[in-house]
Amino acid sequence: MNQPQRLLQSYLMRHKWSYLLSLLSILCAQIVQVQYPNLLGRYTDLLQRHKVTALVTLHYSLWLLLVGLGYVILFGIGQFRNGQLGRRFEFEMRDALFKHWETLSTAYFRRRSIGDLLNHAMSDVQTVREIMSMGLNQMTTAVSLLGSALVMTLTTISVRLTLYAIIPLLLVPVIILVIGPRIRKASRKVQEGLSDMAELTEESLSAIRLIKATANENIEASRFQKRVDTILHRQVSMIRLFALFQAVFPFVESLAFCIVLLYGGYMAIHGNIQLGGFVAFTLYLGMLVQPLQQIGFVINNWQRASASMTRLSILMSEMPDIVDPELPLSIDKIQGDIRVDIPRYQYADGIVPVLEDVSFSIDKGHTLGIVGRTGSGKTTLVNLLPRIFDPPAGSVFIDGHDVRSLRLEVLRDGIAYVPQDGFLFSDTVRENIGFSVENATLEDIEQAAKDACVYDDVVDFTDGFETLIGERGVALSGGQKQRTSIARAFLKDAPILIMDDSLSAVDMNTEKRIIEHIRHVREGKTTLIIAHRLSAVRHADLIIVLDKGKIVEQGTHDELLKQGGIYADMFKLQQEGEGVVV
Amino acid sequence: MMADVSAPKSSDQLSVRSLVHLARFAVPFTWHFLGVVALVIVFNTTSVLQPYLVKLAIDNDIASKSFHGLEVIAVVYVSIVIIGALANYTQVVLLQYAGQSIIQRIRMALFRHIESQSMAFFDKNAIGRLVTNVSNDTETVSQFFTQFFLSVVRDGLSVVMVIFAMFRLNAGVAWQCMVIVPVIFIISFAFRKRLRVSYQTARTRLSSVVAFLAENLAGIRIIQIFHQERRQANAFLTLNDRHRQANVKSYMTSVMFNRSLDFLGNVSVAAIVYVGGLRVLHGAMEFGTLYAFISYIRQFFQPINALTQQWNNLQSSSVSADRIGRVLAVEPLVTDNKDLVNSLSDEEVRGAVEFQDVCFSYKPGEPVLTDISFRVRPGEFVGFVGPTGAGKSSIMALLTRFYDPVSGVILLDGEDIKSFLQTDLHRHIGIVQQEMFLFTGSVKDNIRLFRDDISDETVVESAKVVGAHEMIMRLPRGYETHLVGKGSNLSTGERQLLGFARIVALNPKVLILDEATANLDSQTESLVQKGLTAVAKNRTTLVIAHRLSTIRHADMIYVLSKGRIVERGNHEELVSAQGLYADLYQKSGIEFEMEQTAHP
Repeated sequence: MNQPQRLLQSYLMRHKWSYLLSLLSILCAQIVQVQYPNLLGRYTDLLQRHKVTALVTLHYSLWLLLVGLGYVILFGIGQFRNGQLGRRFEFEMRDALFKHWETLSTAYFRRRSIGDLLNHAMSDVQTVREIMSMGLNQMTTAVSLLGSALVMTLTTISVRLTLYAIIPLLLVPVIILVIGPRIRKASRKVQEGLSDMAELTEESLSAIRLIKATANENIEASRFQKRVDTILHRQVSMIRLFALFQAVFPFVESLAFCIVLLYGGYMAIHGNIQLGGFVAFTLYLGMLVQPLQQIGFVINNWQRASASMTRLSILMSEMPDIVDPELPLSIDKIQGDIRVDIPRYQYADGIVPVLEDVSFSIDKGHTLGIVGRTGSGKTTLVNLLPRIFDPPAGSVFIDGHDVRSLRLEVLRDGIAYVPQDGFLFSDTVRENIGFSVENATLEDIEQAAKDACVYDDVVDFTDGFETLIGERGVALSGGQKQRTSIARAFLKDAPILIMDDSLSAVDMNTEKRIIEHIRHVREGKTTLIIAHRLSAVRHADLIIVLDKGKIVEQGTHDELLKQGGIYADMFKLQQEGEGVVV
Repeated sequence: MMADVSAPKSSDQLSVRSLVHLARFAVPFTWHFLGVVALVIVFNTTSVLQPYLVKLAIDNDIASKSFHGLEVIAVVYVSIVIIGALANYTQVVLLQYAGQSIIQRIRMALFRHIESQSMAFFDKNAIGRLVTNVSNDTETVSQFFTQFFLSVVRDGLSVVMVIFAMFRLNAGVAWQCMVIVPVIFIISFAFRKRLRVSYQTARTRLSSVVAFLAENLAGIRIIQIFHQERRQANAFLTLNDRHRQANVKSYMTSVMFNRSLDFLGNVSVAAIVYVGGLRVLHGAMEFGTLYAFISYIRQFFQPINALTQQWNNLQSSSVSADRIGRVLAVEPLVTDNKDLVNSLSDEEVRGAVEFQDVCFSYKPGEPVLTDISFRVRPGEFVGFVGPTGAGKSSIMALLTRFYDPVSGVILLDGEDIKSFLQTDLHRHIGIVQQEMFLFTGSVKDNIRLFRDDISDETVVESAKVVGAHEMIMRLPRGYETHLVGKGSNLSTGERQLLGFARIVALNPKVLILDEATANLDSQTESLVQKGLTAVAKNRTTLVIAHRLSTIRHADMIYVLSKGRIVERGNHEELVSAQGLYADLYQKSGIEFEMEQTAHP
């Protein structure tokens, strides 16, 4: 059994009493409701037979009132409880999804688009929730109303009238099951058209400078127009079906009504049923049509919900591929000696190796510089260390232990990481810098900010360290982001620090100051620096030059210059060219 | 000051005014809407007639035991129902067609309006938001023109017609029924604010959940490396739970509201039985009339319930309409001056560029450019250098009229660029940007930017000129190869080459080149360098240089600092002048010396 269904089932089990209560109250509500036509019918008969007095009238009115009150309360309770339970399910499902996602590796997120995942978390869960609350409400209501109404018409009025009247009504679910899927298909077409248009809009607006600079506004507008026209076209086809749907129900109901009018009237004329029975039946008719309609809708929605359920199942059954080893080493803290010996590494979805014959080692407290062109495998290499991607067994060692034999928590607690894009959360500066350290003091945070040369920027913000950043707050520049995430990594103060080209948006002077600070702050600890500008790795104890996944040169700055290879070339080029500050 | 169209407005001030404002798009569909109203009347009449027919059946035929009368009524009934169904079908199609056509027009207007904005607009408004405006907000607004309009017309008319029918049947009882009208108002009024507030709270909290998820999924790696899964899970739990609570509360409110109306309906039926029953008892009324009244009372509550359901619709539509309205209200800062149109033909333009005392700032009080004056002769190659923020890119943005200068004049061939239509100006002045943007579409369409007036031959010719042809032919389907948006299936260098081919195909007289800073590998770099040389031929070329090697041989180099031109001259002159340029030129060497002394 797959997970969400198990989740759904366990949810239903855990809340079985609540569900029982709400189902019962809806059932009772319908049983109460069907008394309505019955009361009116009996009253009609009494009227016909002139047995009515003012007191009898009052009596019946009060009964009607009581029935009305009972129905409203019972149904209200059932409806609300179901809705509430549905929302709780939605809440638990999303929570489970998020926690599940947190266990999945970067390789997984490389394959999936975030928009897609979001859609699952929002729409699919919502669809399932709707079938659980609204669908359940409607189904319970429909079944119990249909049942009670049939019992009432069969027992209190006439079996034959009931059977005749119900014939056209049986068309209702059939129509829904025939047209429903076609409407769904048409609506999917519309949705596709809409996302097509949204995509084009995003593309055009992202390229607005280009469009303006090339006087291409009209061309873009006509491309946009094409998408919009397609939408209109598809909408109209969908609407036709939908209109048919809308028109056909009242029509079927009226057919049934006509039978009641003719056959019921005939029976009333011939005294086979009382006038009260006839009156009551016309009222019951609505109670038969409505549930049949609802049952059809619920079946349709159920199909949609089960598709959502399947998608959620697939999501939840995705196994985390980077997990704790079965028998982890009993080590609580790592020191920072690194040895790498990778014969060959390629991504699961790749065809060519990203790394080949990469071997080096650095001792605790030393600094490793990694340089090479874009796509030479630098980021991949450092990502193997904290197991963002899993290295082959027996290829990456920390303190002599294979990283895959350490508990993930121990491994990752020992590594601080600065990503290339300086990813930050939409939270305060303080929360961002103190991300990995619970209850970090403001002083510590300020010190980390100073070391990362972002302190002056932060105190210039209106709320200082309490300033919100991101969409709802201050938009940081690329350099500010990088420096803030450097501060975050400094605060973690781990035995190993990895900086993945995280000085690229920082100007040269600041870079120099940060490098200074690193040498001071990271005294005795291991640091790995990926850089494009060689000035950032000049001081490293060991520099490796990667090219197409292979180490082509390694040594200290001076050694590499003497070798007169790629590194020396790069150095010369940068000395000449990058004199102009970028 | 340019309005930031995303600025949230206090929800209480939201009115339907913005919706009314958008109604101008509905004007061409007046006849459609009138048709809908007419069809609704037909449909409603058929509905209202039904209880009346039953009354006739009860009081006349069943009472007098005339089966023939019943047959007649049944035939009338069926005809009425058929008419009603047809009217209903036509009405749905007509209304939806009108509604969707309106949305189509709003979308077009919005898209064109956004396109016509100057860059200052795009600096302030995130593209994601604008896309939402175009796709989602319009969709929401369409509900106003369809569901809401229909509900008001159909349900409103139903109420009126039911009331009318009741008065026709028995004015006395009908008057007594009218007691419920103020009660309905009182109930609705009591719930109105609570419904709105709870609905909005739920919406706001929903968007926090979505935003949190989007961000955290994007940053899942950071969470994992810093081992903060629990922390983020707890943060999500809180948001998620707040969302749930808001929804439950909102649901509770609407359940209470609907059941209250329900109850009122039931009370009314009980009351009508009492009042009407007594009348029938005293012979003041026929029983069939009582039956009709009971039916009418029930019919009366149906549309009212439906109308109240529209409240949320109106809410969300007006929020969306407001957002659209705010975008549409922004006047483009850079506009064409229709009075003095300068129509130099493409052949007549020579490509002389001149800046006269140009000053510019993005924000008042923070000058970006001060007194910029220079002159570029046709065909010259000039470079602009200087530290980040010196104003190099701003000069180019002014020349292309992405922005207008605060003071000073910019001339093309001696004519103020403001006197050109923007489309003409942009044909004369082309720009190649650092960030090469590619569209979803074929390589060919990416070079000619989907224009019909650029032939396949021109496309190939242009690609050959910049040396992109071989690269393109190596792609799986050559010029027909489909590129995905953001061009992720091409390397940076390849994209640069396509960009050069594009500019050659467009063939502007003046070319602005924002040199790429990305670290291209040497092979690609030499390719790009060759392409660049080819493009610059026979054109006035202005380069924002990031590497001195690019502009070493420029006719003229302008050195910018803090928004001013501080030095000008060719490479040799500037080096011997021992100023900022010379400093920049030697900087790397100096830097290394300093570092060496700091860390022996």
